[in-house]
Amino acid sequence: MSATGIHDFEDMFETAPCGYVVLGTNGRVDLVNKTMLGWTGYPADRMVGKRFSDFLNIAGRVFYETHVAPLLRMQGSFNEFAIDVVRADGKSIQMIVNATERRDDAGKLIFVRLTLIKATDRRRYESQLLRARDEATVSLADERETSELREQFIAVLGHDLRNPLASISAGARILGRDAKTERDHQILAMLQSTVVRMAGLIDNVLDFARGRLGGGITLDRNARAPLEPVLHQVIDELRLSSSGREIVEDYSIDVPVNCDRGRIGQLVSNLVGNALTHGASNEPVRVRVATKDGLFRLSVSNKGEPIPAAAIEKLFEPFFRGTVRASRQGLGLGLHIAAQIAKAHEGTLTVTSTADETRFTFEMPLLADRVIE
Amino acid sequence: MMFVHGFGCDQNMWRFVEPTFEKDFRTVLFDQVGAGGSDLGSYDKTKYSTLGGYADDVVEIGHELGLKDAVFVGHSVSAMIGALATLNAPGMFGKLVMIGPSARYIDDGDYVGGFAASQIEELLQFLEANHMGWSAQMAPAIMGNADRPELGEELTNSFCRTDPEIAKAFARVTFTSDNRRDLPKVKVPTLILQCSEDVIAPQTAGDFVRGAIRGSRIVQLEATGHCPNLSAPDEVISAMRTFV
Repeated sequence: MSATGIHDFEDMFETAPCGYVVLGTNGRVDLVNKTMLGWTGYPADRMVGKRFSDFLNIAGRVFYETHVAPLLRMQGSFNEFAIDVVRADGKSIQMIVNATERRDDAGKLIFVRLTLIKATDRRRYESQLLRARDEATVSLADERETSELREQFIAVLGHDLRNPLASISAGARILGRDAKTERDHQILAMLQSTVVRMAGLIDNVLDFARGRLGGGITLDRNARAPLEPVLHQVIDELRLSSSGREIVEDYSIDVPVNCDRGRIGQLVSNLVGNALTHGASNEPVRVRVATKDGLFRLSVSNKGEPIPAAAIEKLFEPFFRGTVRASRQGLGLGLHIAAQIAKAHEGTLTVTSTADETRFTFEMPLLADRVIE
Repeated sequence: MMFVHGFGCDQNMWRFVEPTFEKDFRTVLFDQVGAGGSDLGSYDKTKYSTLGGYADDVVEIGHELGLKDAVFVGHSVSAMIGALATLNAPGMFGKLVMIGPSARYIDDGDYVGGFAASQIEELLQFLEANHMGWSAQMAPAIMGNADRPELGEELTNSFCRTDPEIAKAFARVTFTSDNRRDLPKVKVPTLILQCSEDVIAPQTAGDFVRGAIRGSRIVQLEATGHCPNLSAPDEVISAMRTFV
């Protein structure tokens, strides 16, 4: 190959790293460079004199006539359009094309120039993106549908699990009226204890599912209704079902507390249940509830072995279980749900554990506007 | 005189033709739903799943403007939309100008529409898989930046913006349409402008329309391609003038 100077424009046209095609006034190919001929595999005489659209697939032909040609006329140019050029061997090359037209002073068309660049990789990437988008759209729709099903499932499951439990509880209460022997009373107390534990577990599992699968913990706040009786009832149930464990309650609620009473009851139930399970069995569990300095503070404390420092970090994570005898092991959701309830109330749940006592404290702000609401 | 653009463009199509008629006619131009400056929110999949839906729009505009005995000028697929409109609203249009019409794009027995069924399927599949640069054309409509024109200036192509999804649907409706049975019912004087070397609406398609509409006239244009209103406006104007 002979050396060419950098100003050899004919060479620049012929061997440029892109295809050049020039169309005459009748839209037929007048000139085509060597690069384009090399890419398409046509000899020059097979391209010259043909309509440009003869070298396009059917979609390209329609696109050229309905989009490219009109826009060229209106704008004088049309850039970055994607077409497939059909090669001599019948295969397609994906290309990106820029086109400009030249007109004389009277506005009469002289020629149209096309610059064509191979875009196989780029087009593959684009089609992958399109496919990914389509898949994402489909899977998002699937996900939404699944999530709705889950929500329904959780609701139905909760209902179905609580109903038989209520029957067991009611049955045990009726039997309790005629209980005669000490053994009868023991069995019935055990039944009630199991019912309370089971109910707590169901609440926790359902809340966990809701929190994880969308929905989260929702609150039904009420500032007017009193909180103390609700908490007292929850603790009483735990006391009755814990075969005589001492639970000391200390209330000093001076102002209305704008909270979801059922949820705070659940929080107390989880904390007291935890204290009964892990605390020293010969020492009382203490529950202190107070409003003070613009805060609602609820703490549950017990004596016994302190929680190891390593365990404290993971205490509020789901499925965390301390070392207790297998029969008392739960799912490890109680403290996690309690923390979620605290969070939903824009409050905090913290823990301190020393050789002297282990204490969980829930604190939430008593906002005046919430109280008035 | 109502000018209606076809698949692929918007009312800008008529910029070299319409001004000539402003002196003698009240001219009406609009963008089909999905094209140009139309309200994309008005697109209704079901309504626009047939050309009838587009014809309903034409009739609605005609009623709104109180058109009587008007001239309908339709390019490409809108030539058929116009034919349907004359059937649905007798009296609204007194004359019909069809530029590059085709009653059916797919060959059928002796009928030559210019496309094999498999080619149209290929086209529609290609449109499914390829944006063909439509995304860029769509950008301003998506972004809704009418109040910030500087964002629009970045665009490669500022005319004939089409929503890619609607364009695909419109392509399907257009290229699978078959209005051969509607044409004999057309009673208004009709002028057909037939281009040379039109790959979209070949000679055979124009001849069929000419034969199907009683009393219609066909004018053979020297212009090549599918858009003589842009490539050879003078030819189109003079043919229309002698007709209207």
